[in-house]
Amino acid sequence: MKHILPLLSLATSLSCFCSVRLEAQSSAVNLNKSNAAYADQPTFPDDHKLPKPVSNQLLSASTATPLKSILVADVPVRGRIAADNGDPLPGVTVVIKGTTVGTTSGADGSYSINVPDGKGTLVFSFIGFLTQEVAINNRTTLDVIMGNDAKALEEVVVIGYGTEKKVNLTGAVSTLGMKQKENMPITNASQALHGVGGVWVNQAGGKPGQDAGSIRIRGVGTTNNNNPLVLVDGIEYNMNDINPATIETITVLKDASAAIYGSRAANGVILVTTKSGRKGKSEVNYSFSHGIQSATFIPDAVWDPILYMQSKNQALRNEGKTVVDYSDAQIEEYRAGMATNPYAYPNRNYFDEIIKNGYLQQHNLRFSGGSDKIVYSLALGFMDQDGIFIAANHANRYSLDLNTSANLSEKIKVGATIKTMYRKYTEPAQGTEAFINRFFRVLPIFASYLEDGSYGSAVFTTPGQNIIANPYMTLKEGMNEHASFRTLTKIFADINLPFHFTYSANLGIDKLDGAADDVNGASRQFNPYMTTYHPLTKAPNFYNPTPYSYIYNQNNLNLSAYHTLSWNQKLADAHNLSAMGGMSYTKFDNSFSSSQVYGYFDNSLTDINAGSINPQVTGRHTEDLLLSYFGRVGYDFKEKYLLDATVRYDGSGRFRQGRRWGLYYGLSAGWRLDQEAFFKNVTALNFVDLFKIRASYGELGNQAVALYSYSPTVNLGSDYAFNNTIAAGAAITSAVDRDISWETTHTYDIGTDFSAWNGMVNLSFDVFKKRTTDILRQVNIPAQVGGLTGPTRNIGVVDNTGYDISLSHRNTIRNFKYEVAGEFGYVKNEVIDLDDARVVGARRITIEGYPLDSYYLYEAIGIYQNQDEVNNSAKISNAVKPGYIRYKDQNNDGKINGDDRIITGSTIPKYTYGFNINVGFKDISLSSFFQGVQGVDLYPTANLATPFNNGAGVTNEWITDSWTPENPNAKLPILTTATGATENFQPSTFFLRDGSYMRLKNIQLKYNLPVTLISKVHLSNLSVFANGENIVTFTKFRDFDPEKTITQDNLYEYPSLKTFSFGVNATF
Amino acid sequence: MKKIFSILLSSALLLSCSEDILETQPYDRYTEETYWTSEKNAVAALNGCYAVLKEDGIYGGTATPLWEETATPNAYNYDNSFGFNVIALGTQTASPANSGEIINNRWTDSYRGIGRCNTLLAEVDKVPMSDALKTQMKAEAKFLRGLYYSLLEMYYGGVPLILEKPDVATQAELPRNTRAEVVEQVLKDLDEAASVLPAKYTAAADKGRATKGAALGIKARVLLFEASPLVNITNDLSKWTAAASAAKAVMDLAPQAGYDLFSNYRTLFLPANENNSEVIFDVQFKAPEQTGNSFDLINRQFNTNAPLRNLIDAYYMKDGLPINQSPLYNPAKPYENREPRFYQSLVFPGDTYMGAPVTATNPFKITGYTFKKYGIYDKEPSTIILNAGQSETNYMVMRYADVLLMYAEAQNEAVGPDVSVYAAINKVRQRAGLVPFEVPLGKTKSEMREIIRQERRIELAGEGFYYTDIRRWKTAEQVMNATIFNSQNQAIVKRTFNPARDYWWPVPQTQRDLNPNLAQNDNY
Repeated sequence: MKHILPLLSLATSLSCFCSVRLEAQSSAVNLNKSNAAYADQPTFPDDHKLPKPVSNQLLSASTATPLKSILVADVPVRGRIAADNGDPLPGVTVVIKGTTVGTTSGADGSYSINVPDGKGTLVFSFIGFLTQEVAINNRTTLDVIMGNDAKALEEVVVIGYGTEKKVNLTGAVSTLGMKQKENMPITNASQALHGVGGVWVNQAGGKPGQDAGSIRIRGVGTTNNNNPLVLVDGIEYNMNDINPATIETITVLKDASAAIYGSRAANGVILVTTKSGRKGKSEVNYSFSHGIQSATFIPDAVWDPILYMQSKNQALRNEGKTVVDYSDAQIEEYRAGMATNPYAYPNRNYFDEIIKNGYLQQHNLRFSGGSDKIVYSLALGFMDQDGIFIAANHANRYSLDLNTSANLSEKIKVGATIKTMYRKYTEPAQGTEAFINRFFRVLPIFASYLEDGSYGSAVFTTPGQNIIANPYMTLKEGMNEHASFRTLTKIFADINLPFHFTYSANLGIDKLDGAADDVNGASRQFNPYMTTYHPLTKAPNFYNPTPYSYIYNQNNLNLSAYHTLSWNQKLADAHNLSAMGGMSYTKFDNSFSSSQVYGYFDNSLTDINAGSINPQVTGRHTEDLLLSYFGRVGYDFKEKYLLDATVRYDGSGRFRQGRRWGLYYGLSAGWRLDQEAFFKNVTALNFVDLFKIRASYGELGNQAVALYSYSPTVNLGSDYAFNNTIAAGAAITSAVDRDISWETTHTYDIGTDFSAWNGMVNLSFDVFKKRTTDILRQVNIPAQVGGLTGPTRNIGVVDNTGYDISLSHRNTIRNFKYEVAGEFGYVKNEVIDLDDARVVGARRITIEGYPLDSYYLYEAIGIYQNQDEVNNSAKISNAVKPGYIRYKDQNNDGKINGDDRIITGSTIPKYTYGFNINVGFKDISLSSFFQGVQGVDLYPTANLATPFNNGAGVTNEWITDSWTPENPNAKLPILTTATGATENFQPSTFFLRDGSYMRLKNIQLKYNLPVTLISKVHLSNLSVFANGENIVTFTKFRDFDPEKTITQDNLYEYPSLKTFSFGVNATF
Repeated sequence: MKKIFSILLSSALLLSCSEDILETQPYDRYTEETYWTSEKNAVAALNGCYAVLKEDGIYGGTATPLWEETATPNAYNYDNSFGFNVIALGTQTASPANSGEIINNRWTDSYRGIGRCNTLLAEVDKVPMSDALKTQMKAEAKFLRGLYYSLLEMYYGGVPLILEKPDVATQAELPRNTRAEVVEQVLKDLDEAASVLPAKYTAAADKGRATKGAALGIKARVLLFEASPLVNITNDLSKWTAAASAAKAVMDLAPQAGYDLFSNYRTLFLPANENNSEVIFDVQFKAPEQTGNSFDLINRQFNTNAPLRNLIDAYYMKDGLPINQSPLYNPAKPYENREPRFYQSLVFPGDTYMGAPVTATNPFKITGYTFKKYGIYDKEPSTIILNAGQSETNYMVMRYADVLLMYAEAQNEAVGPDVSVYAAINKVRQRAGLVPFEVPLGKTKSEMREIIRQERRIELAGEGFYYTDIRRWKTAEQVMNATIFNSQNQAIVKRTFNPARDYWWPVPQTQRDLNPNLAQNDNY
């Protein structure tokens, strides 16, 4: 007992390990079936071999010897204890009622207890769950499902540089236990955040190896970098580079609670905590899943060659051309040729041939366990994914994660976390976006292979299709590989000091080699020699006559060091005081180099060494420095009145001297009404488990501008060649504002947490306002100022106001359990002040009084039905004819020009939501997760969004639903080419599309095999499952998958994927 | 590592925040404060002024001058590269959708060049180096600034006239100056440049730099524009005189600078003969070390500058007569007995190109024709395949033939067809290989005007000058309000030209969005 006391104080001051410690203490407390303070009531005689909870961790089978074996004629009772989601529950205390005889369940949830005469009642208790009493009735097998007990929820949440009991949180914090997402075919941790309240995840496309979603927390506060700060076990890190299967929990700090991260916190902070070992029996967990993947959406292109040619001709005639692309004789020739010479006159659907089913398989193997002195978790992960194109889209990921810590003494604990990952993926030689751009230009008349196996071009030339991009060729030739190796090593030491002080020192070393995510930098690329041949004349059409080889290598070393001193103390049994102070220093040393060389004879040699002509090298080294001081003070009175204050003082090398230091802080307070006497004492209110009101205010920063943005520089590289001799040239290429400094976000939040009927109903509701001032934006300036790129400036004020709701209900009725949970977020974005300036792009505008990057378009008011209508209205040009789009002359000046544009639409979803519906019966569970956004608009353009874009093909919609005199109410204007009738393809509301959608993100059926069966093969848990991912989507958007990059108007993204997968999860 | 811990330790103890550990600087670029300190740096900054010549909006990018031809009756750009076909159709707007197109790019790139020249002119005096070199460099910068401003005034009219180093605070809201003010400054810059620049450079490494002749030549072009009907509404003859004497000044410089017409019209445009005697000023492309131009690709494969039937018909027969006057013309065999420049500039149905026969639809589907001028490809097969940005043929901004024709035109307008007019035009026709090359004597001023205009069109066909010629002659409203035809005389499309609007380009809407003080041109 004596050992435990100091531990208690230590536990509350230590960071990540806290949660488990508290559980351990609590389970010990439960042993004596009393909720009274632990220290006051030593229950067990000294000779009881109480498992020593010295160093925390759940009690488990190996150490949990029966508490007392004093009985005669014992009958063994065995069983398995599971949570209501079917997961085995280790550490559950099982006691024979009225005795002190008991045991605890093992890692697999199984227990065994000797019961006198098979009579009596077993009491199952575990922290966080409702205690159950079950009469034995001579049974020898007794499986139990434990229901959650919200009242007893002692769940601990990781917050900045510490932890907090969830019920006592005063900030707006969302947490996600990865258990919820277990077995789902998630390839990137960001995908797990779909549906977390107040978080908008947009996963544009499912490109293997590069399918991270973009994450926006509570709207978009800046026009600059909007990515939240992500810390993995306390160190800034990239979500792409961790194996999602090794994550324990994810905490999202949405309001002033992020202020402890100061200048990087304005976009919210995501804290990822990875799985660590637990003291107890060694455990081996293995999971495997295999999925089949296919595209959710592929444009519905016309593939009938005759229909295509006729439509193209019609489009040209419609726009006033008298010479068309395909003569009648050619069309007839083609029609005849299809029967006799399919090499030259193909009739095929290229999308069907180039797109196949992909697969995704993941293996995860984890060893964990520990003793009093040391705990460990060692995880190995392997992912193998082959995309939906027939080549050049393969991804692999190999990871190794080791978490371990050791108690050197009662006062000192040291540990290390090592996360390594090697991942690589392939792309078409010229990049995915470029490939898809060309792929969406493939015409039905393109040949694929000729008889001799060479790549074919097309029997007829088509204007705009000068270089035939045979998709077989562009996929299969050459290579483009991205690979990176990254290791995050964190070492730490926690030291207990006298007077309730704890010191913690942490050092993170993050080493990256290679280049996985750099768009420009494939690690290795060979841009091959590519030529197609005319199917009849065999005349070559040179796609790329000059092959080159390219290598790019990134070499980053990021050092993060922080240390904290914390103290906490309970005074007069009522005042809980805590304080923490610390500082950190972060240094990002980034460098890259690349080489490129030409002069390859063919595609057989691809190394840089084999090239001979025009070698080029680039390289750069940068440093990014951040020095910070921070602190937190917490106080609560009997867990009734809660106060929390944080402060951070950040200095950044991204700004000039004098503008470098910024002060940030957050204040929050909570009031637990349920702890008030007036609440507690009213019987009618006893159903309430938790009722808390909280409020916060904070100021957070955003320093994410390009390095040296403040420094006016003269760039080299504007070279010129006099008489074919290159002369170095230099120029100032951008204007600079020397005085730029942090953006500051002022965040206000009022919220409530409510829980009732032992966790059957839970509700959280937050109203927030985020005001970002001094937003940093690279502004455009008129070209007359030297044609310079505009400076990055602190230009304005943006507000995000809204609310988040999270509501859940779960219940267990005998063997049937169900859960309904939803998250809903609303955010309204508005530019408050822009110094009367406006930022106008081709289709978007940022201007006061409207959301950031609103659409700025001509207002389409229908289609001209006849020449009279054309004659009697303002037109964009004199080429306008019946069937063309009619634009509104907003200022009635008789002209349609830039002054007639209106501000409309939204590039930021107003509503984001997600909800789960889970049901379970005995060992079978079915869970479903829906997710969606509402109130966002998309503007699809270019190949296959607009018809015959510069020689590209067309979708069927333009054939069946475009204006003709006979079809005056068509959805689309008269069929023309996009490049030939530019009047119809001006930025206008006509093509602005509602991008809202709701999709069944995941549905999972899982079966846990009975313990009685699997224990025979020494398994403690075995489940089999099947998943469907992205299988149903409800949307009005018809041009592409709606979950695309909103600011990228073309469709050149890797398609989103739907996945059907199955797998097993086994624990030994 | 040690450093980190010592920082942690010391800061923990003292809580002092040292600025030093946050100090970082780039190692791949100069800061402005330290840049203007050496001759090498200053020379590089001047090279940066030249580099703008290669931008999309000026003479570089893919094939800007070749595409500019497609806004005229000479050629057709079926896919609207850089927005030239929209200009040809008379449907260009100031719309923001045109970003990336020539109307935007020419504005932006011209100012990019101007800004760099202004920076050099403002800073070069600081640099420790010889005064002679400073004077020379300033003269080159003024030449380039004059050239860039001349592009602005000839296409948009008046523009903000900015002569100081770029500064957002003082320049971003400036309105347009009058065109006259801009022209005055252009002439001032060119005069000052001409007074300093050498007639030619002796060092090989200086070939391609601005010369006295280049400054005088561009001055002649600017003055010719001023004298032309588009802006010289009252036909003030003194303006023609000024233009003629400016051109004459270049001709007078010929012995000293070594100017003469190059002997072979076909090879004049090949990389092998760069920097020849005919070059007054050119853009020096280099590939593959730098991004060159795409002239060869455009001619060979893209065919986005497809010559039109109207241009074919404009070429003389080999006897120097137009097709409607020459007995040699056979409408059934329109490509026979044409003047040598026809065969040296164009590929036509029945011709051979890169070893393969050419038909009306193959390989040049658009009109049946392509230009071979400014391309390396000809009848013979070639193993060299040049794709985008891989051609390094210099583009001649001005060549001596242009000077002779400018002189002939201006002198004819100023004083009528005197001997010097005949001499100038005959010199061009002689090199062209017309037999006989002499223009028959006794032409009236207006007959001579038509002959000169015809000669200009053919001699400079495909080089990107005709668009400004038909605007300044104010003939665009006739020749551009027309249907265009391919080699089979099939109508392709009908073009329009609104004389109240289309002689000038609109100020790009993006610029007006950024600077609301920029007034728009009429009827846009």
